[in-house]
Amino acid sequence: MEAEKEARHLEALMEAAQKGDSAAYAQLLKAVVPELRRYARAKWIGTIDPEDLVQDVLLSLHSVRHTYDPARPFMPWLGAIFRRRLVDLQRRHIRKARNEVVTDTLPETFSDDETNWLEEGQGDPELLRTAIASLPAGQRKAIELLKLQELSLKEAAEKTGMSISALKVAVHRGMKSLKQTLRA
Amino acid sequence: MKVQNDVMKTDDLIGSLADEVAPVRRLLLPPVRMVIWLSLSLPWIALVVWYIGLRPDLMLRLGDGTWLVEQSLALLTALTAALAALCVSVPGRPLWERILPLFPLGLWIGTIVQGCVQSIAAGGSWSSLIRMDWSCLPHIALLGIGPAVVMIALVRKGAPVAPYVTIAYAALAATALAAFGLRFFHGEDASLMILVWQLGSVALLTAACTLFAERLFPWRIATPR
Repeated sequence: MEAEKEARHLEALMEAAQKGDSAAYAQLLKAVVPELRRYARAKWIGTIDPEDLVQDVLLSLHSVRHTYDPARPFMPWLGAIFRRRLVDLQRRHIRKARNEVVTDTLPETFSDDETNWLEEGQGDPELLRTAIASLPAGQRKAIELLKLQELSLKEAAEKTGMSISALKVAVHRGMKSLKQTLRA
Repeated sequence: MKVQNDVMKTDDLIGSLADEVAPVRRLLLPPVRMVIWLSLSLPWIALVVWYIGLRPDLMLRLGDGTWLVEQSLALLTALTAALAALCVSVPGRPLWERILPLFPLGLWIGTIVQGCVQSIAAGGSWSSLIRMDWSCLPHIALLGIGPAVVMIALVRKGAPVAPYVTIAYAALAATALAAFGLRFFHGEDASLMILVWQLGSVALLTAACTLFAERLFPWRIATPR
């Protein structure tokens, strides 16, 4: 009886979220996260943090929220999204692990400063700095961490709280904007 | 400590998503979207049939029970496959919707196979039963391209929770409708020819589209700013 009441409550929240009710949406997401986290920890196989899967499911839910029909139960709808994202992420993780080589020391040509000097005299560093500063916060952060500080996706995800997929999209968009700005 | 840190980050994500949540237009019900698909696809089929020209013996065929049964089953397969593709692209819908098209598809193949068995049992050389007819594949591709484009556009509005099943049914819907249209201008009614060339083309094109399922129907995730 209690479970049924809770299910109705979630359906009502989702219906309100589809109408743009921000508070209802936040309440709904907060209500489902513990359940998602529990499932993610139970089902996840691999080394990536299951929290990454939870965040990916939240982003996926957000992008397809128009597909929810209030006449149907909410949890099976969310469950289908969760299962698919779990499969997608695990497949990506396995593919990546297959192609990655773990190394203690990065290959280096010569230790002299001259051979490891990144500045090749091309481009305008000041213009690049201004272009990066003009990016939206999310994209700027992604560029700074992944391209300038050269962190791995996992490290950047841990630092920002963004999921790996979100970071990939942000850095892609950021690079695109930078190219346009520098070309102009 | 680490767990608590992650919890806080997910909370930040929830905050960002909730802040930018905008009203969305709910997806129409699958049967309504199927009617939209049919109403946009049939004019294309009619246009191609009109352009190529109706078969001269069409009036005779319309009185032929076997021809009518095969055409009804082809159309029913197309309709149920379209409905299944649109249902599968909505998360959390019942499983029976996924197997629904298999019944008319099985009956359609069964009817044609039965015709093949009868014509083989009646005797005659294989050369009189089957010959090369490469025109079916491009004709079915031409007839099916319009329904396929509309169907892909419609399913992409949904969620890719089962992209391979969705695209397989979307392609089956388009090619079965094309096979239905084909027999209005293609004067080939021998069962073995239909099985090999027409159903073969349907199977080949469906399989080809399914190979590209994840590219045709990817997740398009918007990140919060």
